[in-house]
Amino acid sequence: MNFLHTLEMTVQNLACHAFRSILASLGVVLGVGAVIAMLAVSEGARGDSLKRIQTLGVDNIIIRSILTGPNGKSGDSAGKSGLDSYGITTRDLEHISSCFENVRHAVPVRHLHKTIYTNGRSTDLKLMGTTPEFLDVSRSTIAGSRGRWLTDQDSESLSLVCVLGTEAAQQLFGATDPLGKSISAGGFSFRVVGVLANRQGAQMDASSPLENIVYIHYATAKALFGNFLMSPESHRLIQVAADYVYVSVKETSQLPDTVARLRAYLGATHDTEDWMLLVPLELLQQQQATQRMFTIVTGAIAGISLLVGGIGIMNIMLANIYERTKEIGTLRALGGKKRTILLNFMLESMALTGCGGVLGLLLGFVIASLIERYAGMQTIVSPLSVAAALVVSVLTGLIFGSYPAWKAASLNPIEALRR
Amino acid sequence: MSLIELKDISRRYGDGDQAVQALYPLDLSIEAGQFTAILGTSGSGKSTLMNILGLLDPPSTGAYWLDGRNVAGLDDNQISEIRNRKIGIVFQSFNLFSHFNILENVCVPMRFAGMPKKAMRDRAGHLLDKMGLGNRLTHRPTQLSGGQCQRVAIARALANNPPVLLADEPTGNLDEKTGQAVIQIFHELVSAHCSVIMITHNPEYEQEVHRAIVLHDGRVTRS
Ligand SMILES: Nc1ncnc2c1ncn2[C@@H]1O[C@H](COP(=O)(O)OP(=O)(O)OP(=O)(O)O)[C@@H](O)[C@H]1O
Ligand SMILES: [Mg+2]
Repeated sequence: MNFLHTLEMTVQNLACHAFRSILASLGVVLGVGAVIAMLAVSEGARGDSLKRIQTLGVDNIIIRSILTGPNGKSGDSAGKSGLDSYGITTRDLEHISSCFENVRHAVPVRHLHKTIYTNGRSTDLKLMGTTPEFLDVSRSTIAGSRGRWLTDQDSESLSLVCVLGTEAAQQLFGATDPLGKSISAGGFSFRVVGVLANRQGAQMDASSPLENIVYIHYATAKALFGNFLMSPESHRLIQVAADYVYVSVKETSQLPDTVARLRAYLGATHDTEDWMLLVPLELLQQQQATQRMFTIVTGAIAGISLLVGGIGIMNIMLANIYERTKEIGTLRALGGKKRTILLNFMLESMALTGCGGVLGLLLGFVIASLIERYAGMQTIVSPLSVAAALVVSVLTGLIFGSYPAWKAASLNPIEALRR
Repeated sequence: MSLIELKDISRRYGDGDQAVQALYPLDLSIEAGQFTAILGTSGSGKSTLMNILGLLDPPSTGAYWLDGRNVAGLDDNQISEIRNRKIGIVFQSFNLFSHFNILENVCVPMRFAGMPKKAMRDRAGHLLDKMGLGNRLTHRPTQLSGGQCQRVAIARALANNPPVLLADEPTGNLDEKTGQAVIQIFHELVSAHCSVIMITHNPEYEQEVHRAIVLHDGRVTRS
């Protein structure tokens, strides 16, 4: 008896017990469905946050200045003077650039707290000062062929030029070409020389995507607006050399060491915690650890549900064999070999769990799309998880079907016929 | 050598106090094309003998040659193959597969023999046609009468054209007339040189057969 013959008989058998077969494989259906959905959610979440982390650049370290508030030491002393002086100082910037040999660039970004106008209309775009290295370090590009980025010439000649983020250009000038147009901020007028694009959608913080910012040269900003700025929120003077510093390293493998040294240096030189390190690589590693945890939990749930499903299959196959004992005896009397009977029942249980796997897959797809639709989470059903679900469900049939099949095959023909 | 040769065959079930000597050592030979009936009271060992002949049960002692081959010491696979090709079995309660139609039922032994699908279906259709069921091929056994079921079972037993047909009370579940029809089929097989061995309780069938073997308490009293 060849394999195809056996398979044909198996299908005929299953088809005549369709309802029972579906009930029997329900455990596998639910197990596979839950696992597919969970993997889709975790895969989606991972895609999302990985992308967000990677846009920051894994070989970057970002230092953020933090206003520690009225309870902070600097806030306290500044309370009387009406001055908030905090965060990264010019001395810090110089020290980091010159004394850390693994640091390629330390690029300051300073929020200038000026309202930006065009044609007398005000916008809520942010004006920031930064240095020419920012373009590379932030992995941004200049859109179009005619525009350009800020250069050191701009500051030396004190030319009042600016570069707009793509979104900012859109808000200010709509569809018209912004190059050569001008904007005004803080009482000065700046000519637009380029448009910055950041395709990854990176952001400085939640409210400042790189493409929503208007950039001028750091030195120009200092020359025009000085060291002290008036905060429109607190109506107090603030003094901070850089709200953000993008530190890019030469050797990524040395990055953890550089981070440790930066922490030590800032900790020693600042009285208060008015700085914060954002290390995309660390975030990535944390994310990966969380991911691993999630995978383990998902795997455990998968294992348990498939175990339960498998025991269900074993149970139904044993009942099936008990019920069909006489039939097995007859098959043996007609010349069926032990291995034919074995193969028959193995195929039957694998077909059961395999179908359960396919149904579970569909269920998983449905659950994942419902989650995406109603919970607003991104989900990805990867081809790998589809393949794994199918292989594992068929394997479940193989493992849990083998004992019943072996039992069926080793029935004594005469005793089986007597039933 | 005859088609079937038994030498010193006996069968004992269980051991110790529980032991039952179902068959005492017996010698028996059956020729090809012979129509044989096995008769005897209930519990006399008829089925025991039949199961040994059908290679479903190994004898406790003795040697068995089927078609010139000693079947002692063959492994389960070889025994299954001999059952498949040399022996057709018909049961009192038909033992048809209720979830297959009758054509598929007849195909089962040919599947085991690895016959190509087309040839298999052709032969099954031909056999059922000869049994007068050519127009019911796609019916399930549950849609047929007892006599029709037994004819399907005979067709299935003949699928691989075996030299021996064994039937344990093939008419036991049938009325007089249908039973007679089954005996008629057996006559035709015998004239086609098949050796039919039938267990029966009905002494009337003694007139129909070439040879009657009578068992009593595990011993052959007439053969
Ligand atoms: N598996 C078994 N274990 C123990 N004893 C058995 C077994 N099978 C049969 N016997 C015994 O062997 C004897 C012969 O049984 P067998 O089935 O051959 O009788 P039979 O002639 O076919 O009877 P019937 O006409 O009622 O079918 C009986 O005494 C029976 O109890
Ligand atoms: Mg009997």
